Amino acid sequence: MANKGWDEFDAGAILFTFNEKVDNIATTLAEDRPYSPSSSFTASVGDWRIEKPIFNKDYCIDCQFCWIYCPDVSIIARDKKMIGIDFDHCKGCGICVEVCPTNPKSLLMFTEHLDDDACLAGWPEKDEKEK
Amino acid sequence: MADKMDLLDVEVWDGNMAASQAMRQAQIDVVAAYPITPSTPVVENYGMFEANGYIDGVFVMVESEHAAMSACIGAAAAGGRVATATSSQGFALMVETLYQASGMRLPIILNVVNRALAAPLNVNGDHSDMYLGRDSGWIQFNAYNAQDAYDLNLIAFKVAEDHKVRLPAMIHQDGFMTSHTAEGVHTLSDETAYKFIGDYKPMNAMLDFEKPATYGVQTEEDWHFEHKSRQHNDLMTKVNPVIQEVFDAFEKETGRKFDFVTNHKLDDADVAIVAMGTTVDTAMMVADQLRAEGKKVGVLGLRVIRPFPFEKLAAALSNVKAVCCMDRSAPGGTVGMLYNEICGAMYNSGNHPVITGYVYGLGGRDMTVEYLKGIFADGQANADAGKATTSLQQFIGVRGPKLSFL
Amino acid sequence: MSEIKKIKNLKEFSTSADRFEGANLLCPGCAHSIIVREVLNATNDDLVIGASTGCLEVCTAVYPYTSWDASWIHIGFENGSTAVAGAEAMYKSLKKKGRLPQPDRTPKFVTFAGDGATYDIGFQWISGCFERGHDMMYVCLDNEVYANTGGQRSSSTPVGSSTTTAPAGSTSYGEKKEKKDMMSIMAAHQSPYVAQVAPNKWKDMVKKIQKGFAVEGPVFINAVSPCTTEWKFDPADTMMLTDLSTDSLVFPLYEIIDNNELNITYRPKNVVPVIDYLGAQGRFKHLFKPQNKHILDGWQKRVDNNWDKLQRREEARV
Repeated sequence: MANKGWDEFDAGAILFTFNEKVDNIATTLAEDRPYSPSSSFTASVGDWRIEKPIFNKDYCIDCQFCWIYCPDVSIIARDKKMIGIDFDHCKGCGICVEVCPTNPKSLLMFTEHLDDDACLAGWPEKDEKEK
Repeated sequence: MADKMDLLDVEVWDGNMAASQAMRQAQIDVVAAYPITPSTPVVENYGMFEANGYIDGVFVMVESEHAAMSACIGAAAAGGRVATATSSQGFALMVETLYQASGMRLPIILNVVNRALAAPLNVNGDHSDMYLGRDSGWIQFNAYNAQDAYDLNLIAFKVAEDHKVRLPAMIHQDGFMTSHTAEGVHTLSDETAYKFIGDYKPMNAMLDFEKPATYGVQTEEDWHFEHKSRQHNDLMTKVNPVIQEVFDAFEKETGRKFDFVTNHKLDDADVAIVAMGTTVDTAMMVADQLRAEGKKVGVLGLRVIRPFPFEKLAAALSNVKAVCCMDRSAPGGTVGMLYNEICGAMYNSGNHPVITGYVYGLGGRDMTVEYLKGIFADGQANADAGKATTSLQQFIGVRGPKLSFL
Repeated sequence: MSEIKKIKNLKEFSTSADRFEGANLLCPGCAHSIIVREVLNATNDDLVIGASTGCLEVCTAVYPYTSWDASWIHIGFENGSTAVAGAEAMYKSLKKKGRLPQPDRTPKFVTFAGDGATYDIGFQWISGCFERGHDMMYVCLDNEVYANTGGQRSSSTPVGSSTTTAPAGSTSYGEKKEKKDMMSIMAAHQSPYVAQVAPNKWKDMVKKIQKGFAVEGPVFINAVSPCTTEWKFDPADTMMLTDLSTDSLVFPLYEIIDNNELNITYRPKNVVPVIDYLGAQGRFKHLFKPQNKHILDGWQKRVDNNWDKLQRREEARV
């Protein structure tokens, strides 16, 4: 990409999100869309993070607050269930943790380089003081 | 279905009506426009056509010229035939969007009825607005009279929308001197005119929901130069062949022949005047009068201003000994645009005539037969002496002490 | 034909397939994308989207990437509204002429712009679009500042805010002018629907967006967009800030229908003091100095007055 010459672009710097025709984008899940290399879906900002959210399924009630309030479309929800985090797109802002209503929270931020399983193993207990 | 008009073979139209009739015949999908003297009648005529059932498309009267071109860009990106008209201050207001339109490679037709730029405020014809837009990346045609205004509109649609080109195009005509002067204009029938231009063929249309397109990205230091280079390359290499094709097709259809430069008796001329707009017609008439007196003079009219026809212009001037460039715009502290570009073309050609420049006609000041005879005489003196016998820049037709520079 | 997407609850809403992508260049915690996601997910209709120059545009369409899964156009700073209006005009024209590429589809036209583009430089353009009655939606992402260029004041910047062009200093408490009332101005254009929304009250926002898409004519949506970078708070606290903005009534949520009736759509159970909202943001930090107490008092008074006025209008059905 970085070494493309002037003659290799679409005239007018127009970008096309998809490689093929899509019948109805709004009802096609991301994994079924023919993204072209021009879609930022194919890019990663994972290296922006200094902290990452770890998801603990045991406490999750699938309320979907994290899904709706994630600015980066990085909470993956399928069939009304929260199934995980898109670490290519997550910038580590921490909103998902703040809005998670469970006690203990089902999402917590940990330093980026820590091992995921170790984080899960060290999950805090329920906070009795919380109203 | 829009009503058709049964035009006479020769209609009496001023430049504005000629442009608006061509626009009507082109069956434009969206016209977004704003009124400004002296182009207002283009918009008014179009509005009248619409109110009387002659227009199928949408006509939007917006709240400023910048909004007019902005709406045209949105409409063109959506995917259809688009046009508008303006002058002077309105053209200046939309300058930002002109660059955006060409950068986004959208075919849009703009009729520019050339008028002076304030300050001081002036509604009359000169080329200051044209000169302001010279670097905007648009294809630019020059009409000398109402017939040209009509013909070049039809030609411009066909050139701009060609998929090898996909660039916006302007048709310039002198404010008042052409726009408000009625002449006999040879017409094409509605059917023939539309057939000549052809149907609009969409490309990367935003309204094609199966292939969504992102228009108007940001390109920083890693990409900008490449994109602008691509645009320039296409202007320098892809446009002229298409213009030639369309000129040829137009000649076949109407018998009227257009060329990138109008060569009027230059092949054996000693002295040439180079000009744009109504001055070309007047200069040709004066040249013919002087020819009858045995003077070897000619006129070069610049028909295609952008892409600038370096080679064709140099070829047309390859035998002359003196060139007088006529710039109808306040030069802002230097020589005129035509002077600069002619010098550039000739310096790098095999012929090095004496080249001098004239600033004239600002704010609608007439360029008369007498003045033109004087300019041809200057040129003859230069040709005879083999060097400039006058200053390189002279102001013609202004009251007060003689103004000459360089 | 256009059908309103059924969104009973958040679980159902979460089955939406986003048409806005991540790996864009927006700051971590930016509320713009939360708002954009809620707006785009509120409908399954095809979209033609516009954007004015600003954070959203600059961060989601930088060559060689686009974060938009729909046709999208950016021209310049003033004319995000007119760009989409032009596209809408072309849609109407091609529909009349029978030349639409997919004639059975009913696209929605929506444009996004910051407060700088809306309240200031693009004011004429949005006014023109609304006066002409284009069938489009205009969503103003209001972070009360020219965020993209480093935090200069706009006519949406509220009193006492410190911005780079109206900074707080030893002889100034920051912004002196009051925030422009864009909602009333757009309603006065005879818009069929204008509404103030906030991304924390997603159900309220989605309902209003659906109403806006369903009605014919130009719709104005003013969305509060707390800016972690310019309002100066931790990125994780964006939703907390939004809660404070709506619960303190600094950003009351209401709608105006046909410039004829006003409905308040959110009444907080517990109204939060304005100083809690101001205190959570670095841009108002200097207001807590003793010499600026009168500004804080003025703030509470202004918010109370405004809330009172909204209630009176709602009651009087105007």
